Amino acid sequence: MEVSRLRALRGPNLWSQHTAIEAIVSCSAAEQDIAKISGFEARLRARFPAMGLLQPPGYASAVSMAHTLGVAALGLQAQADCPVTFNRTTATSESGVYQVVIEYSEEAVGRLAFKLARALCVAAVEDTAFDVADALAQLRELDEEVRLGPSTGAIVQAAVQRGIPYCRLTTGSLVQFGWGSRQRRIQAAETDRSSAIGEAIAQDKELTKRLLEAAGVSVPVGRPVADVADAWAAMCEIAAAVVVKPLDGNQGKGVTVNVVTREHLEIAYAAAIEFGSQVLVERFMPGSDFRMLVVGDKLVAAARREPPQVIGDGVRSVRELVEQVNADPRRGDGHATSLTRMRLDSIALARLQAQGYTADSIPVKGCHVVLRNNANLSTGGTATDVTDDVHPDLAASAVAAAQMVGLDVCGVDVVCDTVLLPLAEQGGGVVEVNAAPGLRMHLQPSYGKGREVGEAIVSMMFAGKDDGRIPLVAVAGTNGKTTTVRLIAHLLGCRGLHVGMTNSDGVYIQGKRIDSGDCSGPKSARNVLLHPDVDAAVFETARGGVLREGLAFDRCNVAVVTNLGRGDHLGLNYISTVEDLSVVKRVVVQNVRPDGVAVLNAADPMSAAMADACPGSVTFFAQDRHHPVLAAHCAQGRRAVYVEDGHIVASKKKIVQRIPLSQIPLTRNGTIGFQIENAMAAIAAAWALKVDWKTLRGGLASFVNDAETAPGRFNFFDYRGAAVIADYGHNPDAMLALIPAIESIPAHKRLVVISGAGDRRDEDIRQQTEMLGEVFDEVILYQDQCQRGRQDGEVLALLRQGLAKAGRANKIDEITGEFLAIDTALSRLQAGDLCLILIDQVDEALAHIAQRLTEANDTRATP
Amino acid sequence: MEFLKILPLRGPNIWTYRPVLEVWLDIGALEDSPSNTLPGFYERLTAWLPTLAEHRCGIGERGGFLLRLREGTWPGHILEHITIELQNLAGMQSGFGKTRSTSVRGVYKVVVRSRNETVTRAALQEARELMLAAMQDRPFEVAAAVARLHEMVDSLCLGPSTACIVDAATGRGIPSIRLSEGNLVQLGYGARQHRIWTAETDQTSAIAEGISRDKDLSKTLLQACGVPVPEGRIVDSAADAWEAAEDIGLPVVVKPSDGNHGRGVSTELMTRAEVEAAYKLADEEGSEVIVERFVRGDEHRLLVIGGRLAAAARGESVSLVADGCSSVSKLVEEQINIDPRRGYGEGYPLSLVELDEDAAAQFELGRQGYTADSIPAVGVSVLIQRTGNVAFDVTERVHPEVAATVELAARIVGLDIAGVDLVAEDISRPLGEQGGAIVEINAGPGLLMHLKPASGNAQPVGDAIVASLFAETDSGRIPVIGIAGTHGKTPLAHLLAALLKLAGKYVGLACSDGLYFAGRQADKRDSANWVAAQKVLMNRSVEAAVIENSVATILSEGLGYDRCQVGIVTNIEPPQHFGAYYIETAEQVCNVLRTQIDVVLADGVAVLNACDPLVAGLAGYCDGEVIFFSVDGTLPTAHQAKRAVLLRDGGIVLRQDEQETLLFGRVACQSWQPETVLAAVAAAWALGVSPALIKAGLAAY
Repeated sequence: MEVSRLRALRGPNLWSQHTAIEAIVSCSAAEQDIAKISGFEARLRARFPAMGLLQPPGYASAVSMAHTLGVAALGLQAQADCPVTFNRTTATSESGVYQVVIEYSEEAVGRLAFKLARALCVAAVEDTAFDVADALAQLRELDEEVRLGPSTGAIVQAAVQRGIPYCRLTTGSLVQFGWGSRQRRIQAAETDRSSAIGEAIAQDKELTKRLLEAAGVSVPVGRPVADVADAWAAMCEIAAAVVVKPLDGNQGKGVTVNVVTREHLEIAYAAAIEFGSQVLVERFMPGSDFRMLVVGDKLVAAARREPPQVIGDGVRSVRELVEQVNADPRRGDGHATSLTRMRLDSIALARLQAQGYTADSIPVKGCHVVLRNNANLSTGGTATDVTDDVHPDLAASAVAAAQMVGLDVCGVDVVCDTVLLPLAEQGGGVVEVNAAPGLRMHLQPSYGKGREVGEAIVSMMFAGKDDGRIPLVAVAGTNGKTTTVRLIAHLLGCRGLHVGMTNSDGVYIQGKRIDSGDCSGPKSARNVLLHPDVDAAVFETARGGVLREGLAFDRCNVAVVTNLGRGDHLGLNYISTVEDLSVVKRVVVQNVRPDGVAVLNAADPMSAAMADACPGSVTFFAQDRHHPVLAAHCAQGRRAVYVEDGHIVASKKKIVQRIPLSQIPLTRNGTIGFQIENAMAAIAAAWALKVDWKTLRGGLASFVNDAETAPGRFNFFDYRGAAVIADYGHNPDAMLALIPAIESIPAHKRLVVISGAGDRRDEDIRQQTEMLGEVFDEVILYQDQCQRGRQDGEVLALLRQGLAKAGRANKIDEITGEFLAIDTALSRLQAGDLCLILIDQVDEALAHIAQRLTEANDTRATP
Repeated sequence: MEFLKILPLRGPNIWTYRPVLEVWLDIGALEDSPSNTLPGFYERLTAWLPTLAEHRCGIGERGGFLLRLREGTWPGHILEHITIELQNLAGMQSGFGKTRSTSVRGVYKVVVRSRNETVTRAALQEARELMLAAMQDRPFEVAAAVARLHEMVDSLCLGPSTACIVDAATGRGIPSIRLSEGNLVQLGYGARQHRIWTAETDQTSAIAEGISRDKDLSKTLLQACGVPVPEGRIVDSAADAWEAAEDIGLPVVVKPSDGNHGRGVSTELMTRAEVEAAYKLADEEGSEVIVERFVRGDEHRLLVIGGRLAAAARGESVSLVADGCSSVSKLVEEQINIDPRRGYGEGYPLSLVELDEDAAAQFELGRQGYTADSIPAVGVSVLIQRTGNVAFDVTERVHPEVAATVELAARIVGLDIAGVDLVAEDISRPLGEQGGAIVEINAGPGLLMHLKPASGNAQPVGDAIVASLFAETDSGRIPVIGIAGTHGKTPLAHLLAALLKLAGKYVGLACSDGLYFAGRQADKRDSANWVAAQKVLMNRSVEAAVIENSVATILSEGLGYDRCQVGIVTNIEPPQHFGAYYIETAEQVCNVLRTQIDVVLADGVAVLNACDPLVAGLAGYCDGEVIFFSVDGTLPTAHQAKRAVLLRDGGIVLRQDEQETLLFGRVACQSWQPETVLAAVAAAWALGVSPALIKAGLAAY
């Protein structure tokens, strides 16, 4: 078994909407049917008894090792408590080569599970040991390490429930909700509106107390002290039992409560100074510890917290009692379980000593023995939900405390006898406020009802039905994507939106290019969704990115598939037919929102067929209004865009709008068929996003498509009276679209300059010149700068083969170098001729042409 | 000479609007020794404090106080001027002072402006010692005393960044309350307040601050949004640092990932040895180490406030030219530190170069093959600091595209106030064409470099911060209603609070029977005092504040607010005496109560009892409107055309422009002191509560 490639599909993909590992696995003949490996399945199941079924009962077709690997990798993750269910193994067109796809919830865990599953299979084949317990422990540990913590996780989950998209910005707990200008951020239980000053105030207990006192919230009196003597003085001022704690400590470290003697005070002081620069002495408030969680201006949860303790039975020692408590299966070591194990560490031993015990003492029956002072879950404490008991006045005090400090999410620590009464009535008070409070005790209290605190935080951040999304358009197809993307972006921009756009030329924010090169993949799209200014996003979604990583977004408002034609790039990545390709291009359609729209080309069978895959509605476009698909759609009263009497018509039940082609300069007065199609697709997309028709008409009229704005997209030049067209077309469908446009331009002599991209199939390269040979008089073939894996001269030979049957071409030249080819063509042009240059290095070639144009104009200017 | 008592008057008081210290000084026998009778006193005092010549005093021009000294003045007055001068010399601006004799011979009230109580107390003690030394011809170390005070000012007063924001707020009439001994200050009152802490505001996001501290993360986010940054990565060893440097391409910068003030940063490293040495330097700072592309040009600091570029400063390299005979350290003193703009502390735009403490400078010297003791050949230029203080203002020169880029950068990180560090050769050109890049974003940036640039214009960054928090017409004030008088204040306060609550306000009420928020008693103790008033104004929920002030409070603490929307004086009769404060007559009591009317805002209202002639006489001190109330239905003749609330035939009448409207008939008011009801109605009317609501409120109370 060989694994030749492993990919992480981080968004909706070819296989499913789940994140998944995709592996290319080659199996030997024997491995293609594991039944032929004697005893393998039995050995496998002996090593991993929880392994799922390899096929449904009653089926007996051959099960490959690749398939087994997939089931094992999924099973291992599931046994390690990862929420995953999807796996799929399919044979590729190559014999013995499979694609194995396994869902993951954490990429690192998925990768490890895959590795472990492989080891498991190997161990079962070779009859060697495999420690499944250790494997699961590894997975669990890694999962706990990399996945979001319980607080962040709960908020994210609540956001997902609301349909708010999210992405992690770091490996830690910093998460972005929503997209572009609508984005918000959280970090654990802190939002981007949590004020830094509020946080700093909460850190300063003295200041907090002063502010709370000012707000009329009951607080324990006391003050920071300079040394032990001062602590004693403070204790005398307070004239009651005191609490001694570090001024800027956290997690209850170094805190001693109920100090009444000078001796105890000295020990407590020493313990506190270890965890802070200064020590605080304040009145000890007897009663229980409560944590009130305030979100915005509401109390959303309250819990009583108890320190870890055991109750004597008169028989067992403290150590044994602790062991007994820890035997509770709900107690784990980390944050995953609702309780954490108690530890008999030095802090606990010291606390025991203070009560007159050692670990081996046997407390009398019914005696409560406390193991540490603080009630944090992470040190073995318990939390009991008391949300429904809280007296409204007490809730108001907690909210007042949070607001005075200035925290939108705030954990207010209250000490009082009961939450059923206001603080003032029982001498209780607020002892501390916490920024970024832990939510675990409210989500999964040790006792009582869990509270939807994540939902409360999300509701505060996103009012009503706000889901943080911006309008998102994804454009796929073989040809016309870039122009369509640009036109849609332009139309949305005309509506006043700040548009982020990706295409094969770069990333653009409000028309400004911020990245260059082919940016039609998910990484660039993610960057746009991260940009704080972007109100709407239009993405060219090329197949490469979809295959490599999946989509950059979970759902889109509009998916456009311009056409599939005969396909492009066929033969790569196990995509050998246009049907295969259509599965890839269809991914954007499958991930349209239920209230979204797929814009599909009715005249292109593959594009049209995607209609059934769309969860939302469909708008068809086609030049021919009588095309059966479009006509049927129209008859059903659905949205359609077509051409009639020199107008693009948008119709739904009846005609909605008619836009004259003469007012869409992109179409050159309706002469360039493929630009009409691009315009129709863009109109349909803008219509779906409710761009008003006036704006839309204005946008179509003002859209400029020249070498500057759309390099390599049918750029038209006048060279000494001859028409020169530069285009980046490089596949048979592009030729098919270009030829009628070229033919519509009258010319004496027609020249074409072409090379072939080496990463296309032989037949695709040949086909291009076959077509061009029928309409051009002269053909200049040139060798590409980059041969993309081809031998020197190989591409030229293929292009020549295509010309063998050419009906019209009478002069064929071969030239090495793109610039030389261009110069050769230009030098042959007379006024009234036409030359199509199929450029390869877009920017360089256009710069070269521009240079020649300037020279030509200069010579003309100086007679 | 004895200080009988020191009263810190923390708010507006009988002397002035500003906080002062009032000292009761018993000069004893010195009553018989005015300054002109003390031989040599004038000469010694003016020699020690020559700047006393600036004190105008009395005659209102320079030298005024010296004239009084020569003509003969008494120790209280002299103490006042010395204290003020010591405070000024120590860097705590103070102009106001006053000295008055009391009814007791030899006992004076000396009042001096106090921006910080502790400092002024210390200044008073120093001034007393200084004066006695000058009188008794003993030595006194003036410089040492000033230095002691200076140190106190530095540690106790607001830092310069915070102070400039507070000053800007004050300039716009926005009140402020210092919330901590540090730089936490509240601007505005109650629900309209904002907080600042140095150059952070309550709008500064904790998460954004965290992102700005994580340089690697900030860079990733900026890069994703197309903001130019120097590419690079975190490295974990010296060898790894070199590998990264080779990947990125030389020259490179090596620096700690979360360092500040340029500590541990080495730039333009060309060789493996340099990179490895720089790694060690950066690694010592304790955090992770980053290697990144060296960006050519000067370091700049661009300050973004509320989404807009507010100021820009450029750093310049510091170098010297050798004379062939002096050591580098000597040349530093002769050529660099001699610059008058250089010095210790915040008073100087440029800091001194201290080679033995400046690791970066030592590193830079080392690269050139020198140490501090080297004597470079004559004419050789020696680079000391690659980027000295970033203190040269270039705000006007910033190219709009650069401004847009740094504003975007602040937005990406999510900071309302950000100091963006940017390296570029020419800030007046777009970054793209010169390879410039943003290297760091800082939360809570220092403002000093923009306030006191080494060259160029100071930028009004404090104003910009205040403007980002408060819209142009927003003074951050909530309606504050101050109630003074000799009796009947507490029921009036309660009644008024109830009316305002009915008008939908969250009311804070501080009066002698307790402190209340929205009707809930938060403190049972007497709260008609400065501390309780401040609590009300600090509470972020409070939308209207009703504050009672007793005569004793005004005398011993001052008012708890700087200005108020409505100031009420109920009465002076029956007379009360405040002999403990040397206030004995009704006129003197009235003068104390006047403080309440002095602080009424120009768009505010004084509510005065027309039936008490002394109270009615306070009308002239009010900056705003006056509404009289009158239980006998009479008004001062000059007031006929204005608003008034009258008791007529047992009913309450609202009078405006000589039009009278009956608000309430005889019956309903029976259980009340009529003055109380009339004053409450007048105040509620002044605050725009509709007559219908006032009527309903009175009925329901």
